[in-house]
Amino acid sequence: MQRETFLGSGDLGSASLSWPEKIWHFRWVLILLLCAVASIGFVTLYSAAGGSLEPWAVRQMTRFVVGLTLMTVVGVIDIRFWFKAAYVLYGFALLLLAAVEVVGMGAMGAQRWLSFGFFQIQPSEVMKVALVMALARYFHGLGTEDVNRPVNLLAPIGMVLVPVALVMRQPDLGTALMLMMAAAAMAFLAGLRVWVFGAAVAAVGALAPVAWEFMHDYQRRRILTFLDPERDPLGSGYHILQSKIALGSGGIFGKGYMEGTQSYLNFLPEKQTDFIFTMYAEEFGMIGGLVLVALYLLIVVQGISVSLKSRSQFGRLLAAGLMALFFLYVFINVAMVMGVVPVVGVPLPLLSYGGTAMLSLMFSFGLVLSVSVHRDVRIGRRAIMDGL
Amino acid sequence: MNQATKPGRRTAAPPGARVVIDGAAKQALEIGRNRLFVIAAVFALGFTVISGRVVDVMALKGGAAPKSAAVAVEQPDRAAIRDRNGELLATSLGTASLFADATQVSDPATAARQLKGVLPELNEADVRTKLTSERRFIWIHRNLTPRQQYAVNRLGIPGLSFQREARRVYPQGAMAAHVVGFTDVDGKGIAGIERSFDGALAAGTAPIDLSLDMRVQHAVVDELTNAIKDFNAVGGVGVVLDVRSGEVLALASLPDFDPNHPGDVKPEDRFNRATLGVYEMGSTFKTFVIAGALDSGTATLKSGYDATNPIHIGRFTIEDYHAKRRWLSVPEIYIHSSNIGAAKMALDLGTPQFRAFLHSVGFNEPSPLEVPEVGKPMSPAQWRDINTMTIAFGHGMAVSPIQLASATAAMINGGILVQPTLIKRTNVEGAMGARVISRETSADMRKLMRLVVEQGTAKSADVPGYLVGGKTGTAEKTGVGGYKKKSLLSSFIGAFPMNDPRYLVLVMLDEPKGNKQSYGYATGGWVAAPAAGRIVRRIGPMLGVEPVDDTTPEMKKEMFVVVNPRAPTLASY
Repeated sequence: MQRETFLGSGDLGSASLSWPEKIWHFRWVLILLLCAVASIGFVTLYSAAGGSLEPWAVRQMTRFVVGLTLMTVVGVIDIRFWFKAAYVLYGFALLLLAAVEVVGMGAMGAQRWLSFGFFQIQPSEVMKVALVMALARYFHGLGTEDVNRPVNLLAPIGMVLVPVALVMRQPDLGTALMLMMAAAAMAFLAGLRVWVFGAAVAAVGALAPVAWEFMHDYQRRRILTFLDPERDPLGSGYHILQSKIALGSGGIFGKGYMEGTQSYLNFLPEKQTDFIFTMYAEEFGMIGGLVLVALYLLIVVQGISVSLKSRSQFGRLLAAGLMALFFLYVFINVAMVMGVVPVVGVPLPLLSYGGTAMLSLMFSFGLVLSVSVHRDVRIGRRAIMDGL
Repeated sequence: MNQATKPGRRTAAPPGARVVIDGAAKQALEIGRNRLFVIAAVFALGFTVISGRVVDVMALKGGAAPKSAAVAVEQPDRAAIRDRNGELLATSLGTASLFADATQVSDPATAARQLKGVLPELNEADVRTKLTSERRFIWIHRNLTPRQQYAVNRLGIPGLSFQREARRVYPQGAMAAHVVGFTDVDGKGIAGIERSFDGALAAGTAPIDLSLDMRVQHAVVDELTNAIKDFNAVGGVGVVLDVRSGEVLALASLPDFDPNHPGDVKPEDRFNRATLGVYEMGSTFKTFVIAGALDSGTATLKSGYDATNPIHIGRFTIEDYHAKRRWLSVPEIYIHSSNIGAAKMALDLGTPQFRAFLHSVGFNEPSPLEVPEVGKPMSPAQWRDINTMTIAFGHGMAVSPIQLASATAAMINGGILVQPTLIKRTNVEGAMGARVISRETSADMRKLMRLVVEQGTAKSADVPGYLVGGKTGTAEKTGVGGYKKKSLLSSFIGAFPMNDPRYLVLVMLDEPKGNKQSYGYATGGWVAAPAAGRIVRRIGPMLGVEPVDDTTPEMKKEMFVVVNPRAPTLASY
């Protein structure tokens, strides 16, 4: 194994590999899984458009190809570069989020987009990755005993709450929840004592009524509707009911490709984005749904395995944190369309139509690959870089 | 230490890999590794949950969904609603609705023009847009008549189809709209009986027969409409109740609406004043303080109270509208509607007793009537003696008209509280509730109510032969900063025939204004009692109530009551 040659010289590590060698050492199983899931997405978007590449499938393919390129580039770049860039990227994402506040564009009652003329981005998607990177770097610099000093927790709490506050203003409850849960998972991995989480959950419980006060009417309605979808079958409950009807009509083997009712009858708005799982499962049935969930599970397993094999705390936390995000995407979205959790507007990764989400996702898988390739690179406590 | 206790772990890692790692970092890695397994377990659990849910929604519960969808197509027509004599109040008509598969329409412009030709109410540009939309399913027009369907079919336009739909029709229009209610576009009941019996109606097995008698309802609505017009009132309530069975024969709340076009209805017209509105009723409440006092024995028909001077309590003054400024007997308190006398009687009865009595007649909870629109009564949170005194003449407690009707019925039907119902009742015995006053007290109340119509404020409600009895009420409506002298709620509640009451009649006018016939008065005796009298005149024969001769010695004896025991009589000489 190559590894033997740089034992004890982690400062060099796999950074000494050339970029084709690095690509050779990529986790190709992970990439294949990503391609498989993305292909399911293309097929479903083709059907969603009533059997047409336009307007969604072809653009989604383009984005995926761009995303694959991005992933490769990110993957070959040295992990220490990403370590160094973590705070810069976080600051950049924060600026974008703040910019949304000032000049953002609205869609469906929420202001989430920034327009740069020829393309638009959704800064909250960028922030998810940036926050995980910044927290990974921060916790990397702390020993286990340091993590549990309350003073050392102030900075990460601030790092989480500032973007959460900005995202809540948009308002985007789903992203805010994902940011907090991913951050909690990382703090847990960094060694924060378990009772702290208990205390945090209790505090959140106590603050819930306050949060209720600050929620938009449509957010409150969604939570109430979640508790009882039949309460308002024509209003907020409409999505969940239609989704469940479509899923139920799919049965075990599905109605068959292009035979779903959703694409023709438009019962579900947003069928190409947040409710794409419903579309897919109606046509491919329970079996299709389970296959997709299994593919997602395998992707997460790959990511966790990368995290386990990394020898730097940064790489370990980065890969695990990104997998936590990915898991949350899948879990919240699938649980949402089946009425297990409220409709919060979280896309299904790799399937849902959407540019920023796709690119930031591929960027994060690039980071996972970088962690994987540079698993033996040693990173100092205090970001003293050599040659970078 | 970790390495010593976990040698297996060490050998699993590449040998020597740990050499470069200092102690703290190593410990961090150990904790991190264990915790990563915990996180992985959480992820695994999450995936298990959603997989389980996929199976649940799609294969278990979901498997039933296509079947129920198929059933929905053959869903039976929604059952009819009828009055007690089988008169149709709501029924379902099969209609056809026109939709298009826009991809199949070859020439949208021509098709739109032709459709406009046979369905003139369509907007041609609108239809053209729909037909060019490339949508596979789009509604063009709902609920076509067979003639319209035939005309559309004759056009022979490809891509147009019909969906069979059921449309709810209310043949009586607005007549009993507040009771019957209406359905939404999808045939789901959203008000009135349509809503409270939605499940049974949707099942389509048997029609629902209401207690309403449309002949009576018609008479009530007619007279109420006239009274509202005569006295320029903003609204009104009319109720006819069978005091023995609790069946509501008529229930009108004006203004009303046409349930055939619920979309055009103003929200305020949909407000059911008779069941949902709660009002301070005024003097009609005196019935309860007198019945309570007579029944508990704190007063008899022969006792009386000094009503010479108004009562001052704190910032309140209780005075009489028709002040006699003297000692009044209990019958006089009732027929002259003395607030002072009623207040004193209530104090004698006692606050807890009066409160318990009002609760026993149902004034502490919404009426059990079978429509969803029932109002919650309002009573003082802190019930002091001052509340007892004002509630004695109907201020400080608000109840719905149907509650007042059902409680008053218990005062004259022999003393039993019967649950009011809008459904035709076959088993009257089963509906009998608790006894709230004795048979004797009830007999006394009949005499007193007859006396009010004979000699008191409700003379205009009298109808020869029907022995009408009752009580008038005039309440000032509350407005900003207190009661408004000019906004009145004027009512009459009565029953006939008073020797053995069968039917209760309640008429209430919201903000009536006095006119020439009423010499400018807008009180219950002047505006509501005459309307009630006319209703009795019309429905008495309809309901088969035999006229009685109240001049016979037997009848005189039965209804006799000494109005003023202190007045000199022949016997005292």
